[in-house]
Amino acid sequence: MRRIVGSITLLLVLFVSTEIQAGPVEQAKRIHDRIAGVPPTVEILEQMANIIGSGSGSEVANAEQAALIAIDHPDFYRTTLKNLATPWTNRDFDIFAPLNDYSATVIGLVRDDRDFRELLTGDQLYVGSAATGGPVYSASNNDHYEYLEQQGLDLAAQLEPRSQTSLTGIPAAAAAGVLTSRAASRAFFIAGTNRAMFRFTLVNHLCRDLEQVADTSRPPDRVRQDITRSPGGDSRLFRNNCVGCHSGMDPMAQAFAYYNFEFDSDNDPTGENGRLAYNDVGVLDPDTMTRVVRKYHINQNNFPFGFVTPDDRWDNYWRTGRNRNLGWSSTLAGSGNGAKSLGEELANSEAFASCQVTKVFKTVCLRAPVDGADRAQLSAMTSSFVSSGYNLKQPFVESAAYCRGE
Amino acid sequence: MSYISKHLDENLGPAIQVKLLAVLVTAFLAGCSGGSGSAVVQNVDVAAGDSGSRSLVLSGPPPQSDDVQRFRLELWENIAPDNRCGQCHGAGGQSPTFARNDDINRAYEEVNALVNLNQPAQSRLVEKVGGGHNCWQASDQACADILTTWISNWAGGTVGSSTSIVLTAPPEIIPGASKSFPATAGVFATTVHPLLTTYCANCHVDDAAIPQSPFFATDDVEASYAAARSKIELDDPANSRLVVRLGSEFHNCWSNCVSNAAEMQTAIQTLVDSIPETEVSPELVTSRALTLLDGVVASGGGRNDASAIALYQFKTLTGNTAFDTSGVEPAMNLSFTGSVDWVGGYGIRFSAGSRAQASTSTSAKLHQLITATSEYSVEAWVAPANVTQEEAYIVSYSGGNSTRNFTLGQTLYSYDALVRFSATDGNGNPGLSTPDGDEVLQATLQHVVMTFDPTTGRQLFVNGARIDVADEVGGNLNDWDDTFAFVLGNEVSNNRQFQGVLRLVAIHNRALTPTQIVQNFDAGVGEQFMLLFGVSHLVDVPNAYIVFEVSQFDSYSYLFSQPFFYSLEQGALPSIIPLQGMRIGINGREPEVGQAYANLDVVLDASNYSVESGQPLSAIGTVLGIEKNPQSDEFFLTFERLGDATNVRVEGGIEPLPVSADAAPVSDIGIRIFDEINASMAAATGVPAANSDVFNTFTAVRQQLPSSNNIEGFLSSQQMGITQLAIEYCNVLIEDPALRSARFPGFDFSAAPGSAYAGANRSALLDPLLVSTLQNGAGPVATQPDVTLVRGELNSLIDRLVVTGNDATRTRTIAKAACASVLGSAAVLLQ
Repeated sequence: MRRIVGSITLLLVLFVSTEIQAGPVEQAKRIHDRIAGVPPTVEILEQMANIIGSGSGSEVANAEQAALIAIDHPDFYRTTLKNLATPWTNRDFDIFAPLNDYSATVIGLVRDDRDFRELLTGDQLYVGSAATGGPVYSASNNDHYEYLEQQGLDLAAQLEPRSQTSLTGIPAAAAAGVLTSRAASRAFFIAGTNRAMFRFTLVNHLCRDLEQVADTSRPPDRVRQDITRSPGGDSRLFRNNCVGCHSGMDPMAQAFAYYNFEFDSDNDPTGENGRLAYNDVGVLDPDTMTRVVRKYHINQNNFPFGFVTPDDRWDNYWRTGRNRNLGWSSTLAGSGNGAKSLGEELANSEAFASCQVTKVFKTVCLRAPVDGADRAQLSAMTSSFVSSGYNLKQPFVESAAYCRGE
Repeated sequence: MSYISKHLDENLGPAIQVKLLAVLVTAFLAGCSGGSGSAVVQNVDVAAGDSGSRSLVLSGPPPQSDDVQRFRLELWENIAPDNRCGQCHGAGGQSPTFARNDDINRAYEEVNALVNLNQPAQSRLVEKVGGGHNCWQASDQACADILTTWISNWAGGTVGSSTSIVLTAPPEIIPGASKSFPATAGVFATTVHPLLTTYCANCHVDDAAIPQSPFFATDDVEASYAAARSKIELDDPANSRLVVRLGSEFHNCWSNCVSNAAEMQTAIQTLVDSIPETEVSPELVTSRALTLLDGVVASGGGRNDASAIALYQFKTLTGNTAFDTSGVEPAMNLSFTGSVDWVGGYGIRFSAGSRAQASTSTSAKLHQLITATSEYSVEAWVAPANVTQEEAYIVSYSGGNSTRNFTLGQTLYSYDALVRFSATDGNGNPGLSTPDGDEVLQATLQHVVMTFDPTTGRQLFVNGARIDVADEVGGNLNDWDDTFAFVLGNEVSNNRQFQGVLRLVAIHNRALTPTQIVQNFDAGVGEQFMLLFGVSHLVDVPNAYIVFEVSQFDSYSYLFSQPFFYSLEQGALPSIIPLQGMRIGINGREPEVGQAYANLDVVLDASNYSVESGQPLSAIGTVLGIEKNPQSDEFFLTFERLGDATNVRVEGGIEPLPVSADAAPVSDIGIRIFDEINASMAAATGVPAANSDVFNTFTAVRQQLPSSNNIEGFLSSQQMGITQLAIEYCNVLIEDPALRSARFPGFDFSAAPGSAYAGANRSALLDPLLVSTLQNGAGPVATQPDVTLVRGELNSLIDRLVVTGNDATRTRTIAKAACASVLGSAAVLLQ
C-alpha cells in the first residue's frame, strides 16, 4: 500500500496548464463541474459541447442551454444545493452538518421551480418519499434525513412536499417556510431569546450581519428589558453600539414571540430530540400568561423601563433610515403578526433577491464578484431572478454561462 | 400650584405603582412584625470614633412625648456633643439652640423649624451643613448625608416613601440657542489641554504616584477631553470647575491663583469661542425648556436602613475618600488605592489595581456590632464590568486571600458568598454561589444582598428575589476576627480585583427580611427628578405639561422614563388633542440616538385623563447622552404633532448601497469540496457512494477533506484524506467482479500481472480509466491533464509494479494503484 500511495503522489503534480483557450468542450466541462459538482460523462460532455459550439442562439444563450442539462444531474440537488444550504441551517455555518428538513426544502423548492420566496413563507417542508424506506419524518429528531443522506439517494427523485401542519403540528398560519423547520428551530429557537432566528435569517438570506445594518438613529422603544442600557456601568456602549442593532432587530424578532424549541436541557443539551413548539390561540405561557414565550420576558430587571413583549406584532423600523436601501417592497405594510408575514417582508426585499443570486454566483464561479463586470452581471441576474418568478435555477444557469471560461 | 395626590402612583405606570405599594405594605408589615427581622433602634456609640472632647449630659425635664424621645435618640445625641453643633448651638449659645442640653423639649421645639421629616434631605439643617457650615468631616456632602440619615432615623424607617409628590410650575424658558461640546477634542487640544498636561499631570493622570480622578491631564487628548468636559462650563467659562478650583478654592495653583485661574479661563474662553451655537430649528414644534435642576425631586428615600451600620452612597464625586454616611460611629470611611473613579449619578468605578479600604480600627465596628446580633446583611447596587472575571471580590471584610469574616464576590455569571461561621472554615469555605447555569449575574446594575442569620445561615438575593440554592445551615459567628479591614473592589492583599461600578453599599447588623430587601430594591439608587415641560402654548389646556421622571443614569447618560400629560390647573381637562412623534431635545437640538418616543401616537383626552395623575403617555424609558453636565444641559421636547401644531418630517433621499472596491483577481478554478469529491469518485468509478466500505471511509475522512473551493487553501492533510478515499473506491471497484467488468470489460483480472499488463492488454484498463477521469472521449479536454503524459506515468507505474509470477491478486493490486493515482489527482479534484 505504501508504494501505491507513493506512486499516486507522482500524478498529483499533473495540474492543468494555466493559459488554456476554452473551447466548447472545456466550457461544457466547467459548466457541468460547477453546477453538478461532478465531472460529466463523455456522452453528456459531447452533448453540452455541441450545444455550446453549434447552438442556434448567442454564445451566452447556448451556454445557458447547455447548463440546463447539467441541472438535471442528481448531484446538482444531492451535492451542490445541499452544500449551498447546509451552512444556513446551523449557528456555526457548518457545511458538514447532516441533511435536514431545512436543506431538503431548499432542494425541493429548486427542483420544483417554486418561487424561492416561499423559502421564508411557505407551509411546506420536503421529506423523502415512502419508497425510500428507513425512518419517517419525526418532529423530534433528524433520523429521516440522515438516512436519506447515508443512502446516497437521488433526492431530486425522492423528495416530496408536505404541509408543516402534518409534520410538526403547527398551524398553517404559523408556518413560515424554513424559519419554522425543525432544523432552524433547533439551531435558532433553542434557549436564548429567539433573536438568533432573525440574525441568522438576515445573514443567510439578506447577506448582511447585524453590524452592516446597525442604525443607531432608529427609536429604541421596542428594545426589550433584557438588554442593559448600561453594560458594565457604561451607557455609551448601549447608545453607540447595542442600540444600533437592537432598535431594528427587536421589533422584527417579536414575530417569533410564540415559538420555542423544547428540549431536555439536562439530558439532551444540544436538543437532538427536541421539537418546535408554538403557542396557538388559547395556549398561554405559564410565566407570561400570554401566548408570548417566557424567553421574551427574561432578565426584566436589566432595564425595567424596556419594552415588555405583549404579542407577536412585528414592525420593520428599517423601512426608514439608512436601511431603506435594502429595498423593501412598497406593496407590503412593513408590519404584521407572526413569522409568516415577517418572512414575506424579508423575502420581498431587493436584498433577499440579490443575496440569493450572490450566493449562487459564488457557488458556480468559485469566487466573490471582484470588479465592475461581475457587479453588473449580478445586477442583471438579480433582475432576471425576480422576473423569472424567483426561480433559483435561473441564476445557476446564468452564472454558469458567465463563468464558463474563454 | 397644584399637587398630585397619593394616587399619583396608580397612573405613573405599573412599575411605580408596584414600587410604592410595596413600600406601603412594607411599612405596615414592619409595624406589626417582630423577631429577627423587626426594625432595630441602634444605640449610638458617640464616645467612639471621633477625636476631641465631648460633653453630653442631658439635664432638665424628661421628653414630653415619644417623638421627642426619638428626636433625642436619633438626632440630638449625635449633634449635641461639643465637637458638633453643640459647640455653638447649645444652651445659652447661638440661636437656634437646637443642640441645648438643658431641656430636650425646648431643643425639640427649636429643631422642628429646621427639619423636614417627610423629605429629610430637604431639611434646613442638612442644607446648611451641606453648604459648608462647620462640617465635621472632610466632605460637606458626607456631613449632609449623615445628618439626613439621622433625621430619617428619627422620622422612622419609611421616610421618603411618601406617595405624594408635589409638582410645582417650573420657570417658563423658551429653548434657546446653545453651545455643545464637539464630538472630538479639536480646539481643546491647543487651548485647555496644554495647561492641564503642564500643571495638573502630577496627580490627574491614571499612572500618577497617587492618581487623582478625573484623569483630565493625560497625554491622550481625547481621553483628557472626555474627562474634562464635565469641568468646563461652555455657557459660563468663569464658573468652570477648572477655573473655580484655582481662583476660589486655591487648589494647587502653579504660581499665583488669580492669574492661574485667569489663564485657565482664557483658554476655556478660546475653546468656547471656537464652538458655534446650535440654533433651535424654527420648524420644530417645541415645548418649554428645563434643566435637571428645574425639576421636582421625585425620590430620595424609601430605603430601609434601620439596621445599617455602614452606608456608602458615593455622592462626593471628588477626592480619594468614600464616606460612611450611616451615622453610626465611628465613620468607616474608605480610602482609595489605585484607579478608583467617581461615577456620575453617584457611584465609584474600580479598574485594574484598585480598591477602597477602611482602617482596621474603624472596621472593628463591624465585628463589634455584628457579633452582638449574630446576624447581618451585605447590600450593594453593583454593575459588574463584565461576566468574565473570576474570584473578583466586591465587598469584603477580611485579612487576606485566606482569612475573612465575609466576602461578596463574582465568578463569571455568579455571585459568591464567602461567610465565616461555625459551618465554614476561616476563609468562608465552602462558599455559597448563585447557580452557574442561571446566569443570575449580568453586567448591568443589579441589587445584591447577602444575608446571614444563626438559623437560616447564608442567603443571596438579586434584584429583590431570593436565589434558590440549597444551604439550610445555620451557625454562629464565634470565630470572627476583629483585626480585619473592610474593603471594596478587591481583597486587602490587592489580588482579587473586581472591575465594575458600585453605586451604593450598606452593611446591616440584621438579616434583612425578604420584604425589606424588596423595599430597598424598589427604592432604587440615585436621585430622581420630575421634569415638567410646558406645552400650554401648543394646546388649549392651561398650565399643561408633559412630565418626565428623569435621573442621571451613569456618568454618560440621563434616564428619561414614564412620561405623562398633566395640568397644574385644577379642573383643566384635555379634549381630543393628538400627540404624535415626541422627541427629547438637548441644548437646542434633537439627539439622533435614544428617541424612544418618536413613534408615540396618542390622543390626549379627558377620557384617558385622571385629575390626580394626568394621562400616562408611555411606560418605557430611554437613555440620552449627557452633553455638558447635569447642571447645564437644557432639555425640551419636540412634537411632530401636538394639537394643531405640526412639523411634518420628510426623510432624505435613500443612501445608495456602497459599491465595493475592485478586489484583486482571484483564481478562476478551484478545488472540489468533500461531497463533490465523493460524488465525483463515485461517478468516475461507478461505485455507489452508499457502498458500505466507501461510506465508512468517507465518513472517517470527511472532515479532513476540503470544505472550501479556494485552491490556495489546499493542504497536504487534505490530500491524504483524498488518497484514502480514492484507494477505497478503487479497491471496491477492482474487487467487485460486476463493477470491474462493467468498467473494464476487456481486462483480465484473473491473469497474472505479466500477461494481464502485457502489450496492448493494459489498454483495456487504462483506456476506460482515462475516459472516466479525464473525459477523454471524442477528443482531449484541453483543461484536463495531457492524456499522453498521464498514460506515460501510468505505464511507468505499472512497469515498476509488475513482477513475474502467477498471482492475480497482484494484478488487481496494480490495477488499484493505477486507478487510485488518477482518481486522487488533479484531474478529478480540480474544477
